[in-house]
Amino acid sequence: MAILEIRDVASGYGEVQILWGAKMGLEKGQLTSLVGANGAGKTTMLRTVMGLIKPWEGSVWFDGKDISHLPAHAKAELGVVLVPEGRQLFTDMSVEENLEMGASPVRARPHIKRNLEKVYEMFPRLKERRAQKGGTLSGGEQQMLAVARGIMAEPVVLMIDELSLGLAPVLVLGLFESLQQLKREGITLLLVEQNVQMALAVSDYGYVLAHGKVELQGPSRELARDDHVRAAYLGM
Amino acid sequence: MDFLFASIIDGLLLGFVYGIAAMGLTLIWGVMNVINLAHGPIIALGMFGVYLIFTGLGVNPYIGVVLVAVLGLLLGMLIYYIAVHRVINAPHLSTLLATFSINMIIIGLGTAVFSASPRNVDFSLGSMTLGPITLLGSRVVAAVASLLITGGLYAFLYKTRQGRYIRAVANNRDAAELMGVPSTKILALSFGLGTMLASVAGALIATFFPFTILAGGVYELKSFVIGVLGGLGNPIGALFGGLILGVLEGIIPTFMPTTWVPVLEFVLFVLILLVRPQGIFGAKK
Repeated sequence: MAILEIRDVASGYGEVQILWGAKMGLEKGQLTSLVGANGAGKTTMLRTVMGLIKPWEGSVWFDGKDISHLPAHAKAELGVVLVPEGRQLFTDMSVEENLEMGASPVRARPHIKRNLEKVYEMFPRLKERRAQKGGTLSGGEQQMLAVARGIMAEPVVLMIDELSLGLAPVLVLGLFESLQQLKREGITLLLVEQNVQMALAVSDYGYVLAHGKVELQGPSRELARDDHVRAAYLGM
Repeated sequence: MDFLFASIIDGLLLGFVYGIAAMGLTLIWGVMNVINLAHGPIIALGMFGVYLIFTGLGVNPYIGVVLVAVLGLLLGMLIYYIAVHRVINAPHLSTLLATFSINMIIIGLGTAVFSASPRNVDFSLGSMTLGPITLLGSRVVAAVASLLITGGLYAFLYKTRQGRYIRAVANNRDAAELMGVPSTKILALSFGLGTMLASVAGALIATFFPFTILAGGVYELKSFVIGVLGGLGNPIGALFGGLILGVLEGIIPTFMPTTWVPVLEFVLFVLILLVRPQGIFGAKK
Protein backbone atom coordinates (compact mmCIF):
# COMPACT_ATOMS: atom_id res chain seq x y z
CA MET A 1 0.00 0.00 0.00
CA ALA A 2 1.19 3.48 -0.77
CA ILE A 3 2.34 5.49 2.26
CA LEU A 4 1.48 8.79 0.57
CA GLU A 5 -1.37 8.99 -1.91
CA ILE A 6 -2.62 11.86 -3.99
CA ARG A 7 -6.20 11.15 -5.07
CA ASP A 8 -7.61 13.12 -8.00
CA VAL A 9 -6.26 16.43 -6.77
CA ALA A 10 -7.29 19.68 -8.45
CA SER A 11 -5.72 22.95 -7.32
CA GLY A 12 -4.18 26.18 -8.44
CA TYR A 13 -3.62 29.82 -7.62
CA GLY A 14 -6.50 32.29 -7.48
CA GLU A 15 -8.55 31.71 -10.63
CA VAL A 16 -5.86 29.73 -12.41
CA GLN A 17 -6.25 25.99 -12.21
CA ILE A 18 -2.95 24.11 -12.48
CA LEU A 19 -3.72 20.53 -11.42
CA TRP A 20 -6.61 18.74 -13.10
CA GLY A 21 -7.26 15.54 -11.19
CA ALA A 22 -3.69 14.35 -10.59
CA LYS A 23 -3.33 10.90 -9.06
CA MET A 24 -0.19 9.28 -7.72
CA GLY A 25 1.15 7.17 -4.87
CA LEU A 26 4.50 6.67 -3.15
CA GLU A 27 5.38 3.12 -2.15
CA LYS A 28 6.99 2.85 1.26
CA GLY A 29 10.78 2.73 1.14
CA GLN A 30 10.99 3.48 -2.57
CA LEU A 31 12.51 6.36 -4.44
CA THR A 32 9.83 7.75 -6.74
CA SER A 33 10.37 10.46 -9.29
CA LEU A 34 7.90 12.99 -10.62
CA VAL A 35 9.08 14.47 -13.88
CA GLY A 36 7.67 16.81 -16.45
CA ALA A 37 8.33 20.00 -18.36
CA ASN A 38 8.55 23.41 -16.76
CA GLY A 39 5.00 24.52 -15.94
CA ALA A 40 3.50 21.02 -15.87
CA GLY A 41 2.41 21.54 -12.24
CA LYS A 42 5.12 19.67 -10.31
CA THR A 43 5.74 22.37 -7.71
CA THR A 44 2.00 23.01 -7.38
CA MET A 45 1.57 19.31 -6.67
CA LEU A 46 4.11 19.49 -3.82
CA ARG A 47 2.63 22.70 -2.41
CA THR A 48 -0.82 21.09 -2.45
CA VAL A 49 0.46 17.92 -0.78
CA MET A 50 2.03 20.02 1.98
CA GLY A 51 -1.03 22.21 2.39
CA LEU A 52 0.66 25.48 1.43
CA ILE A 53 -2.22 25.68 -1.03
CA LYS A 54 -5.52 23.95 -0.33
CA PRO A 55 -6.77 21.29 -2.76
CA TRP A 56 -9.90 22.41 -4.63
CA GLU A 57 -10.91 18.81 -5.15
CA GLY A 58 -9.53 15.41 -4.25
CA SER A 59 -7.54 14.43 -1.20
CA VAL A 60 -4.09 13.61 0.14
CA TRP A 61 -3.63 10.47 2.25
CA PHE A 62 -0.72 9.59 4.51
CA ASP A 63 -0.42 6.21 6.20
CA GLY A 64 -4.11 5.49 5.65
CA LYS A 65 -5.37 8.84 6.94
CA ASP A 66 -6.82 11.80 5.07
CA ILE A 67 -4.45 14.72 5.73
CA SER A 68 -5.81 17.05 3.01
CA HIS A 69 -6.80 19.81 5.38
CA LEU A 70 -3.89 19.80 7.81
CA PRO A 71 -1.67 22.89 7.71
CA ALA A 72 1.91 22.37 6.51
CA HIS A 73 3.45 22.45 9.98
CA ALA A 74 1.15 19.64 11.14
CA LYS A 75 2.22 17.54 8.15
CA ALA A 76 5.86 18.10 9.03
CA GLU A 77 5.00 16.84 12.53
CA LEU A 78 3.68 13.62 10.97
CA GLY A 79 6.91 13.17 9.01
CA VAL A 80 5.85 14.49 5.60
CA VAL A 81 8.72 16.83 4.79
CA LEU A 82 9.38 19.01 1.76
CA VAL A 83 12.72 20.40 0.65
CA PRO A 84 11.28 23.31 -1.32
CA GLU A 85 12.27 24.66 -4.70
CA GLY A 86 14.83 27.44 -4.49
CA ARG A 87 16.13 26.05 -1.17
CA GLN A 88 14.24 28.55 1.01
CA LEU A 89 16.97 28.62 3.64
CA PHE A 90 16.96 30.83 6.69
CA THR A 91 19.52 33.12 5.14
CA ASP A 92 20.10 35.20 8.31
CA MET A 93 20.76 32.12 10.43
CA SER A 94 23.94 30.07 10.66
CA VAL A 95 24.23 26.70 8.97
CA GLU A 96 23.88 24.95 12.32
CA GLU A 97 20.82 27.01 13.28
CA ASN A 98 19.24 26.10 9.94
CA LEU A 99 19.81 22.45 10.81
CA GLU A 100 18.39 22.93 14.30
CA MET A 101 15.33 24.55 12.73
CA GLY A 102 14.94 21.39 10.64
CA ALA A 103 14.62 19.43 13.88
CA SER A 104 11.58 21.48 14.98
CA PRO A 105 8.98 18.69 14.79
CA VAL A 106 8.45 17.04 18.17
CA ARG A 107 9.24 13.63 16.70
CA ALA A 108 12.65 14.89 15.50
CA ARG A 109 13.79 16.63 18.70
CA PRO A 110 15.09 13.56 20.60
CA HIS A 111 17.26 12.60 17.59
CA ILE A 112 18.80 16.00 16.98
CA LYS A 113 22.34 14.98 17.97
CA ARG A 114 22.38 11.77 15.99
CA ASN A 115 20.90 13.48 12.92
CA LEU A 116 23.36 16.36 13.17
CA GLU A 117 26.25 13.88 13.14
CA LYS A 118 24.63 12.06 10.25
CA VAL A 119 24.21 15.12 8.02
CA TYR A 120 27.70 16.40 8.86
CA GLU A 121 29.04 13.00 7.81
CA MET A 122 27.01 13.09 4.58
CA PHE A 123 28.00 16.70 3.84
CA PRO A 124 31.39 17.49 5.45
CA ARG A 125 31.30 20.91 3.77
CA LEU A 126 28.41 21.92 6.00
CA LYS A 127 30.41 20.99 9.09
CA GLU A 128 33.25 23.23 7.92
CA ARG A 129 30.82 26.08 7.40
CA ARG A 130 28.51 25.48 10.34
CA ALA A 131 28.99 28.97 11.85
CA GLN A 132 28.49 30.74 8.50
CA LYS A 133 25.17 32.39 7.61
CA GLY A 134 23.00 30.30 5.29
CA GLY A 135 22.81 33.13 2.78
CA THR A 136 26.57 33.25 2.26
CA LEU A 137 26.93 29.66 1.01
CA SER A 138 27.54 28.73 -2.62
CA GLY A 139 24.63 27.30 -4.64
CA GLY A 140 25.75 23.70 -4.15
CA GLU A 141 26.29 24.15 -0.43
CA GLN A 142 22.88 25.78 -0.11
CA GLN A 143 21.28 22.78 -1.77
CA MET A 144 23.17 20.46 0.59
CA LEU A 145 21.93 22.51 3.53
CA ALA A 146 18.35 22.41 2.25
CA VAL A 147 18.47 18.61 1.96
CA ALA A 148 20.28 18.26 5.30
CA ARG A 149 17.67 20.46 7.00
CA GLY A 150 14.97 18.16 5.61
CA ILE A 151 16.80 15.09 6.99
CA MET A 152 16.98 16.75 10.42
CA ALA A 153 13.16 16.66 10.51
CA GLU A 154 13.32 12.84 10.82
CA PRO A 155 11.12 12.39 7.73
CA VAL A 156 8.98 9.38 6.91
CA VAL A 157 8.47 10.81 3.43
CA LEU A 158 11.02 13.26 2.09
CA MET A 159 10.07 15.19 -1.03
CA ILE A 160 12.72 17.18 -2.85
CA ASP A 161 11.82 19.82 -5.43
CA GLU A 162 14.39 20.40 -8.18
CA LEU A 163 17.45 18.97 -6.50
CA SER A 164 19.62 19.41 -9.57
CA LEU A 165 18.56 22.90 -10.64
CA GLY A 166 21.55 25.15 -11.28
CA LEU A 167 24.11 22.70 -9.96
CA ALA A 168 27.19 21.23 -11.65
CA PRO A 169 26.66 17.56 -12.67
CA VAL A 170 29.34 16.33 -10.28
CA LEU A 171 27.50 17.92 -7.34
CA VAL A 172 24.21 16.47 -8.51
CA LEU A 173 25.74 12.97 -8.61
CA GLY A 174 26.97 13.43 -5.04
CA LEU A 175 23.52 14.47 -3.87
CA PHE A 176 21.90 11.51 -5.65
CA GLU A 177 24.36 9.24 -3.80
CA SER A 178 23.11 10.73 -0.52
CA LEU A 179 19.53 9.93 -1.56
CA GLN A 180 20.44 6.28 -2.03
CA GLN A 181 21.78 6.24 1.53
CA LEU A 182 18.51 7.71 2.84
CA LYS A 183 16.56 5.10 0.89
CA ARG A 184 18.64 2.33 2.48
CA GLU A 185 17.65 3.78 5.86
CA GLY A 186 14.02 3.25 4.95
CA ILE A 187 12.95 6.81 4.14
CA THR A 188 10.39 7.08 1.34
CA LEU A 189 11.60 9.59 -1.21
CA LEU A 190 10.01 11.68 -3.91
CA LEU A 191 12.29 13.41 -6.34
CA VAL A 192 10.71 16.12 -8.45
CA GLU A 193 12.88 16.95 -11.42
CA GLN A 194 13.07 18.72 -14.73
CA ASN A 195 16.17 16.67 -15.41
CA VAL A 196 14.19 13.65 -16.60
CA GLN A 197 17.12 11.48 -17.59
CA MET A 198 18.85 11.71 -14.22
CA ALA A 199 15.64 11.32 -12.23
CA LEU A 200 14.63 8.16 -14.09
CA ALA A 201 18.16 6.78 -13.75
CA VAL A 202 18.12 6.87 -9.94
CA SER A 203 14.46 6.21 -9.09
CA ASP A 204 12.46 2.99 -8.76
CA TYR A 205 9.18 4.27 -10.10
CA GLY A 206 8.28 7.35 -12.08
CA TYR A 207 5.37 9.60 -12.89
CA VAL A 208 5.27 11.93 -15.87
CA LEU A 209 3.17 15.03 -15.29
CA ALA A 210 1.81 17.08 -18.19
CA HIS A 211 -0.82 19.82 -18.16
CA GLY A 212 -1.74 19.13 -14.56
CA LYS A 213 -2.39 15.39 -14.99
CA VAL A 214 -0.32 12.24 -14.72
CA GLU A 215 0.29 11.38 -18.34
CA LEU A 216 2.39 8.23 -17.84
CA GLN A 217 3.61 6.14 -14.98
CA GLY A 218 5.64 2.99 -14.49
CA PRO A 219 8.90 1.53 -13.27
CA SER A 220 11.56 4.12 -14.06
CA ARG A 221 13.60 1.72 -16.21
CA GLU A 222 10.59 1.14 -18.47
CA LEU A 223 9.71 4.83 -18.62
CA ALA A 224 13.25 5.63 -19.72
CA ARG A 225 12.79 3.22 -22.66
CA ASP A 226 9.34 4.52 -23.58
CA ASP A 227 9.30 6.06 -27.05
CA HIS A 228 7.05 8.94 -26.07
CA VAL A 229 9.17 9.83 -23.02
CA ARG A 230 12.36 9.57 -25.09
CA ALA A 231 10.97 11.88 -27.77
CA ALA A 232 9.27 14.40 -25.50
CA TYR A 233 11.65 14.64 -22.54
CA LEU A 234 14.95 13.04 -23.39
CA GLY A 235 15.37 14.54 -26.87
CA MET A 236 16.07 11.21 -28.52
CA MET B 1 28.07 73.51 30.59
CA ASP B 2 26.79 71.62 33.63
CA PHE B 3 23.29 72.42 32.48
CA LEU B 4 23.98 70.91 29.02
CA PHE B 5 25.51 67.82 30.61
CA ALA B 6 22.49 67.37 32.86
CA SER B 7 20.18 67.71 29.83
CA ILE B 8 22.11 65.05 27.96
CA ILE B 9 21.87 62.61 30.88
CA ASP B 10 18.17 63.34 31.24
CA GLY B 11 17.67 62.77 27.53
CA LEU B 12 19.64 59.52 27.63
CA LEU B 13 17.50 58.13 30.43
CA LEU B 14 14.35 59.00 28.48
CA GLY B 15 15.94 57.60 25.34
CA PHE B 16 16.03 54.08 26.76
CA VAL B 17 12.26 54.17 27.19
CA TYR B 18 11.76 55.58 23.69
CA GLY B 19 13.97 52.73 22.56
CA ILE B 20 11.69 49.98 23.85
CA ALA B 21 8.60 51.75 22.49
CA ALA B 22 10.24 51.79 19.06
CA MET B 23 11.40 48.19 19.52
CA GLY B 24 7.75 47.18 19.72
CA LEU B 25 7.00 48.84 16.38
CA THR B 26 10.13 47.57 14.68
CA LEU B 27 9.74 43.98 15.96
CA ILE B 28 6.29 43.68 14.38
CA TRP B 29 7.54 45.19 11.14
CA GLY B 30 10.60 42.93 11.14
CA VAL B 31 8.65 39.72 11.68
CA MET B 32 5.57 40.27 9.53
CA ASN B 33 6.02 43.48 7.49
CA VAL B 34 3.06 45.10 9.20
CA ILE B 35 3.14 48.73 10.30
CA ASN B 36 1.15 48.80 13.51
CA LEU B 37 -0.85 52.03 13.43
CA ALA B 38 -2.39 51.10 16.79
CA HIS B 39 1.07 51.52 18.36
CA GLY B 40 0.29 54.95 19.90
CA PRO B 41 -3.05 54.03 21.49
CA ILE B 42 -1.45 50.87 22.91
CA ILE B 43 1.25 53.04 24.51
CA ALA B 44 -1.59 55.15 25.97
CA LEU B 45 -3.34 52.02 27.23
CA GLY B 46 -0.10 51.10 29.01
CA MET B 47 -0.16 54.53 30.68
CA PHE B 48 -3.76 54.10 31.77
CA GLY B 49 -3.07 50.55 32.87
CA VAL B 50 -0.48 51.66 35.37
CA TYR B 51 -2.64 54.63 36.38
CA LEU B 52 -5.70 52.46 37.10
CA ILE B 53 -3.70 49.83 38.94
CA PHE B 54 -2.05 52.49 41.09
CA THR B 55 -4.94 54.89 41.77
CA GLY B 56 -7.71 52.31 41.58
CA LEU B 57 -6.14 49.38 43.41
CA GLY B 58 -3.41 51.18 45.30
CA VAL B 59 -0.78 48.79 43.96
CA ASN B 60 2.82 49.94 43.54
CA PRO B 61 3.18 51.31 39.97
CA TYR B 62 6.19 49.07 39.25
CA ILE B 63 4.11 45.99 39.99
CA GLY B 64 1.59 47.72 37.72
CA VAL B 65 4.21 47.79 34.94
CA VAL B 66 4.59 44.01 35.18
CA LEU B 67 0.82 43.51 35.02
CA VAL B 68 0.63 45.88 32.06
CA ALA B 69 3.28 43.78 30.30
CA VAL B 70 1.20 40.61 30.66
CA LEU B 71 -2.00 42.38 29.58
CA GLY B 72 -0.16 44.01 26.67
CA LEU B 73 1.03 40.61 25.45
CA LEU B 74 -2.49 39.16 25.61
CA LEU B 75 -4.08 42.23 24.00
CA GLY B 76 -1.59 42.08 21.14
CA MET B 77 -2.28 38.40 20.47
CA LEU B 78 -6.02 39.13 20.52
CA ILE B 79 -5.57 42.02 18.06
CA TYR B 80 -3.53 39.76 15.81
CA TYR B 81 -6.15 37.01 15.67
CA ILE B 82 -9.10 39.40 15.30
CA ALA B 83 -7.80 42.08 12.97
CA VAL B 84 -4.42 41.30 11.46
CA HIS B 85 -4.35 37.60 10.61
CA ARG B 86 -7.12 37.78 8.02
CA VAL B 87 -5.18 40.37 6.00
CA ILE B 88 -1.63 39.17 6.74
CA ASN B 89 -1.02 38.13 3.12
CA ALA B 90 -2.88 41.09 1.61
CA PRO B 91 -1.11 44.23 0.32
CA HIS B 92 0.24 46.72 2.89
CA LEU B 93 -2.77 49.02 2.58
CA SER B 94 -5.00 46.32 4.09
CA THR B 95 -2.81 45.77 7.16
CA LEU B 96 -2.45 49.54 7.59
CA LEU B 97 -6.24 49.92 7.55
CA ALA B 98 -6.72 46.97 9.89
CA THR B 99 -4.34 48.36 12.52
CA PHE B 100 -5.68 51.88 11.94
CA SER B 101 -9.18 50.64 12.75
CA ILE B 102 -7.84 49.20 16.02
CA ASN B 103 -6.28 52.62 16.63
CA MET B 104 -9.69 54.29 16.12
CA ILE B 105 -11.51 51.77 18.32
CA ILE B 106 -9.10 52.22 21.23
CA ILE B 107 -9.12 56.01 20.95
CA GLY B 108 -12.92 56.13 20.62
CA LEU B 109 -13.59 53.85 23.57
CA GLY B 110 -10.78 55.42 25.60
CA THR B 111 -12.09 58.95 25.10
CA ALA B 112 -15.60 57.84 26.02
CA VAL B 113 -14.45 56.13 29.21
CA PHE B 114 -11.59 58.33 30.38
CA SER B 115 -12.37 61.65 28.58
CA ALA B 116 -9.41 63.53 27.19
CA SER B 117 -8.43 65.19 30.45
CA PRO B 118 -4.86 64.72 31.65
CA ARG B 119 -3.90 62.25 34.37
CA ASN B 120 -0.76 61.52 36.24
CA VAL B 121 0.58 58.78 38.46
CA ASP B 122 1.19 60.56 41.73
CA PHE B 123 4.13 58.54 42.93
CA SER B 124 7.66 59.71 43.54
CA LEU B 125 10.94 57.90 43.96
CA GLY B 126 12.64 61.15 44.87
CA SER B 127 15.87 62.13 43.18
CA MET B 128 19.57 61.70 43.62
CA THR B 129 22.36 64.15 43.11
CA LEU B 130 25.64 63.19 41.52
CA GLY B 131 27.97 66.20 41.49
CA PRO B 132 26.39 68.83 39.27
CA ILE B 133 23.50 66.67 38.05
CA THR B 134 20.23 65.68 39.64
CA LEU B 135 18.61 62.46 38.50
CA LEU B 136 14.91 61.75 38.93
CA GLY B 137 14.49 58.35 40.56
CA SER B 138 11.59 57.31 38.33
CA ARG B 139 13.62 58.06 35.20
CA VAL B 140 16.59 56.05 36.41
CA VAL B 141 14.36 53.10 37.21
CA ALA B 142 12.65 53.42 33.79
CA ALA B 143 16.03 53.42 32.03
CA VAL B 144 17.27 50.41 33.97
CA ALA B 145 13.99 48.58 33.35
CA SER B 146 14.28 49.34 29.63
CA LEU B 147 17.80 47.94 29.53
CA LEU B 148 16.69 44.78 31.32
CA ILE B 149 13.76 44.40 28.92
CA THR B 150 16.08 44.76 25.93
CA GLY B 151 18.37 42.12 27.40
CA GLY B 152 15.39 39.90 28.11
CA LEU B 153 14.11 40.30 24.56
CA TYR B 154 17.48 39.31 23.16
CA ALA B 155 17.79 36.32 25.44
CA PHE B 156 14.28 35.29 24.37
CA LEU B 157 14.97 35.70 20.64
CA TYR B 158 18.38 33.99 20.68
CA LYS B 159 18.23 31.45 23.50
CA THR B 160 14.74 29.96 23.42
CA ARG B 161 12.94 27.73 20.96
CA GLN B 162 10.04 30.18 20.59
CA GLY B 163 12.52 32.98 19.96
CA ARG B 164 14.29 30.98 17.29
CA TYR B 165 10.90 30.32 15.68
CA ILE B 166 10.20 34.05 15.63
CA ARG B 167 13.50 34.70 13.85
CA ALA B 168 12.82 31.86 11.43
CA VAL B 169 9.32 33.13 10.61
CA ALA B 170 10.75 36.65 10.13
CA ASN B 171 13.38 35.27 7.78
CA ASN B 172 11.19 32.91 5.72
CA ARG B 173 7.66 32.14 6.83
CA ASP B 174 6.92 29.37 4.31
CA ALA B 175 10.16 27.56 5.12
CA ALA B 176 9.44 27.77 8.85
CA GLU B 177 5.97 26.33 8.29
CA LEU B 178 7.48 23.48 6.24
CA MET B 179 9.86 22.72 9.11
CA GLY B 180 6.93 22.20 11.48
CA VAL B 181 6.69 25.70 12.95
CA PRO B 182 3.07 26.77 13.60
CA SER B 183 3.63 30.10 11.91
CA THR B 184 0.24 31.63 12.74
CA LYS B 185 0.85 31.18 16.46
CA ILE B 186 4.35 32.58 16.11
CA LEU B 187 3.02 35.65 14.28
CA ALA B 188 0.45 36.19 17.04
CA LEU B 189 3.17 35.84 19.67
CA SER B 190 5.36 38.37 17.82
CA PHE B 191 2.52 40.84 17.56
CA GLY B 192 1.87 40.29 21.27
CA LEU B 193 5.51 40.97 22.11
CA GLY B 194 5.43 44.15 20.03
CA THR B 195 2.39 45.47 21.86
CA MET B 196 3.87 44.34 25.18
CA LEU B 197 6.92 46.51 24.53
CA ALA B 198 4.71 49.47 23.52
CA SER B 199 2.47 49.17 26.57
CA VAL B 200 5.42 48.80 28.95
CA ALA B 201 7.04 51.88 27.44
CA GLY B 202 3.77 53.74 28.05
CA ALA B 203 3.58 52.43 31.61
CA LEU B 204 7.13 53.62 32.35
CA ILE B 205 6.54 57.04 30.77
CA ALA B 206 3.42 57.40 32.94
CA THR B 207 5.62 57.18 36.05
CA PHE B 208 7.14 60.58 35.26
CA PHE B 209 5.03 62.43 32.65
CA PRO B 210 1.32 63.39 32.74
CA PHE B 211 -0.75 61.91 29.90
CA THR B 212 -4.16 61.65 28.23
CA ILE B 213 -5.70 58.83 26.20
CA LEU B 214 -4.40 60.67 23.12
CA ALA B 215 -0.84 60.94 24.42
CA GLY B 216 0.34 57.83 22.59
CA GLY B 217 0.33 59.60 19.22
CA VAL B 218 3.44 61.62 20.04
CA TYR B 219 5.35 58.50 21.06
CA GLU B 220 4.12 56.63 18.00
CA LEU B 221 5.64 59.32 15.79
CA LYS B 222 8.85 59.21 17.80
CA SER B 223 8.86 55.42 17.34
CA PHE B 224 8.72 55.88 13.58
CA VAL B 225 11.64 58.31 13.64
CA ILE B 226 13.62 55.97 15.91
CA GLY B 227 12.72 52.90 13.90
CA VAL B 228 13.97 54.48 10.70
CA LEU B 229 17.03 55.87 12.48
CA GLY B 230 18.02 52.48 13.85
CA GLY B 231 16.90 50.52 10.81
CA LEU B 232 13.35 49.13 10.65
CA GLY B 233 13.23 45.54 11.85
CA ASN B 234 16.39 45.89 13.95
CA PRO B 235 15.56 45.92 17.70
CA ILE B 236 19.07 46.84 18.91
CA GLY B 237 19.11 49.64 16.33
CA ALA B 238 15.86 50.85 17.92
CA LEU B 239 17.53 51.11 21.32
CA PHE B 240 20.39 53.22 19.91
CA GLY B 241 17.92 55.25 17.86
CA GLY B 242 15.99 55.91 21.06
CA LEU B 243 19.13 57.12 22.79
CA ILE B 244 19.97 59.44 19.91
CA LEU B 245 16.47 60.91 19.94
CA GLY B 246 16.51 61.22 23.73
CA VAL B 247 19.80 63.13 23.67
CA LEU B 248 18.51 65.44 20.92
CA GLU B 249 15.48 66.16 23.06
CA GLY B 250 17.80 66.95 25.93
CA ILE B 251 20.07 69.27 23.95
CA ILE B 252 17.70 71.12 21.60
CA PRO B 253 15.77 73.00 24.33
CA THR B 254 19.04 74.39 25.70
CA PHE B 255 19.45 76.64 22.68
CA MET B 256 16.02 76.96 21.04
CA PRO B 257 12.33 76.78 22.06
CA THR B 258 11.04 73.30 22.99
CA THR B 259 8.39 73.56 20.28
CA TRP B 260 11.20 73.08 17.74
CA VAL B 261 11.98 69.58 19.00
CA PRO B 262 9.47 67.71 16.78
CA VAL B 263 10.41 69.87 13.79
CA LEU B 264 14.07 68.91 14.09
CA GLU B 265 13.16 65.27 14.77
CA PHE B 266 11.23 65.09 11.52
CA VAL B 267 13.94 66.93 9.60
CA LEU B 268 16.24 64.17 10.84
CA PHE B 269 13.64 61.58 9.77
CA VAL B 270 13.51 62.94 6.22
CA LEU B 271 17.30 63.25 6.04
CA ILE B 272 17.78 59.63 7.11
CA LEU B 273 15.23 58.46 4.56
CA LEU B 274 17.02 60.44 1.84
CA VAL B 275 20.61 59.62 2.72
CA ARG B 276 20.53 56.24 4.45
CA PRO B 277 17.06 54.67 4.17
CA GLN B 278 18.26 51.40 5.75
CA GLY B 279 18.97 53.35 8.95
CA ILE B 280 22.24 53.97 10.75
CA PHE B 281 22.50 50.44 12.07
CA GLY B 282 21.08 48.64 9.02
CA ALA B 283 17.61 47.23 8.52
CA LYS B 284 16.28 43.75 8.03
CA LYS B 285 16.99 42.67 4.46
